[in-house]
Amino acid sequence: MIEEPYRWVEAIANRREYIEGQLAPGSPISAVGYREGILFLTLGQTRQKLFEIYDRIAMGAIGHPGDIERLRMAAIELASTEGFTRSAADVSLRRLAHYSLSPVMKSAFEQIYGPPYLARMLFAEVGARPEDDLFLRVEYDGEIASNGATYARARQDFAVLSGTYQSVELMEAFLKSEHKPDASFETAVNSALDAWSVGHMVLQESEAKELPPRDAIAQHRREQLAIAAIEAAVLERDGSRPIRYRSLADKELRSIVSQ
Amino acid sequence: MDRSQAGFDQNFSGAADDLPSLLRRKGLLGPAAVGPMSQNPTQQSVWQPTEATTILAFKFSGGVLVAGDRRATAGNTVVYDRADKVLEIDRHSIMAIAGVPATAWEMARVLEHSLQYFRRTQLQEMSVDGKVRALSKLLRDNFGFVMQGVGVVVPIFATYDGKSKPEARLYFYDAMGAQFEATDYAATGSGSPAVRGILYYENTWGAKPLHKMNEQEAVSLALRALDTAAESDTATAGVDRSGTIYPVIKIVSREGINTLPESKIAAVFKEMVA
Repeated sequence: MIEEPYRWVEAIANRREYIEGQLAPGSPISAVGYREGILFLTLGQTRQKLFEIYDRIAMGAIGHPGDIERLRMAAIELASTEGFTRSAADVSLRRLAHYSLSPVMKSAFEQIYGPPYLARMLFAEVGARPEDDLFLRVEYDGEIASNGATYARARQDFAVLSGTYQSVELMEAFLKSEHKPDASFETAVNSALDAWSVGHMVLQESEAKELPPRDAIAQHRREQLAIAAIEAAVLERDGSRPIRYRSLADKELRSIVSQ
Repeated sequence: MDRSQAGFDQNFSGAADDLPSLLRRKGLLGPAAVGPMSQNPTQQSVWQPTEATTILAFKFSGGVLVAGDRRATAGNTVVYDRADKVLEIDRHSIMAIAGVPATAWEMARVLEHSLQYFRRTQLQEMSVDGKVRALSKLLRDNFGFVMQGVGVVVPIFATYDGKSKPEARLYFYDAMGAQFEATDYAATGSGSPAVRGILYYENTWGAKPLHKMNEQEAVSLALRALDTAAESDTATAGVDRSGTIYPVIKIVSREGINTLPESKIAAVFKEMVA
């Protein structure tokens, strides 16, 4: 049955629909570059969504915890063995995602008798200058979106991850108009939080086509901050220490979140 | 379904491999040579431990001070006079090494990467006891080489325990991997007998015990001890007065590791030692 090409395409389409449905409720993650590094931010209570992969690489993920864990371990293993046998400077996010993760996820997705990875991941690698920062979003089917310039769009100093494409699109639209690459840490925290709110509102109201009005964003953000904890991490640009990843406690951020 | 093409082999034991076994599985690290090799009786040689250096560490009021001279030797030849034997393993841990440099540096590198790998995979810092055990295991894995007469390493491990009991902790090891927690001081290397004598004397009958010393007093004691070791041990450089090469001195405290700048060591040396 599956040997017929049409059936295969149909099976893949069903599988895509199923995975999209599973990922849809995932709480958004915003990652923004700022003067001193890259900030990852999300809100939630249940489980950790931001992870350290290597000295200059961080990951945020939504999806099934078991699949996230397998992919996270694979990424850490690959980066660690490369970093040990050569040097930390030879560990590259681009290679990790394009060469190692994407092909494996693609074949898991397309081999329809086997289980696909129910996960969507956002990686960032901090560079020496803001224009060297790399953001990659790796989809469950191995598709990769980067922050690089394309014919249709200028380079972005941010990247987002969310349950639906619509939510991703509006978060990106928001950050495109609000976020400046040389922002201070405080500004970055607040725009990341606003972008999260936009993404979260769109997830709850699937018909949304346009950015919600400013006061609605502010109100949603206030409501969510009252009930959920902030999970955040930074990759510091400062090269004096080899390990740039630092997770931030909710307490550290509350004081700089403007009310 | 085979997912191993990109190194995606997963073990489902619940616990992740530690880094050395992961590296061995991928063929990136030599096998653990635990048992001594059978030796031909006619070639039986006397095992000569060669740990040509002097490393010392002691607790003082500001944490743990770890100091090491800079000389690297091969037999009775000086091969390098700017060797760094006091190595940072993570933000709060130092491994200071006496022994064969190739093995010692590799061991420090494996340990450093292991602790990072653990933190990243397990999402928490390794406990101090875990770190101490990890180094012990590396020494034990290396013991086969030690028995063949190559690659003996006798390190000191200094760290700050921020968790169970917030305080500086100091450990020394033997070549087989047994670990001992030092209450006040530890020394290793060929120049260590002299240093151990000095530290014992100072701690017991000196103006004040080691743990009450301030940083200036601690640094000057470390420099005097290394200079004394160098007086009788050819493998220890002490302070090179003409080349102005000073020992490496690092301090571990709650705030992390502080590497003393050469200018500061030079100032203490001129005032208190020379």
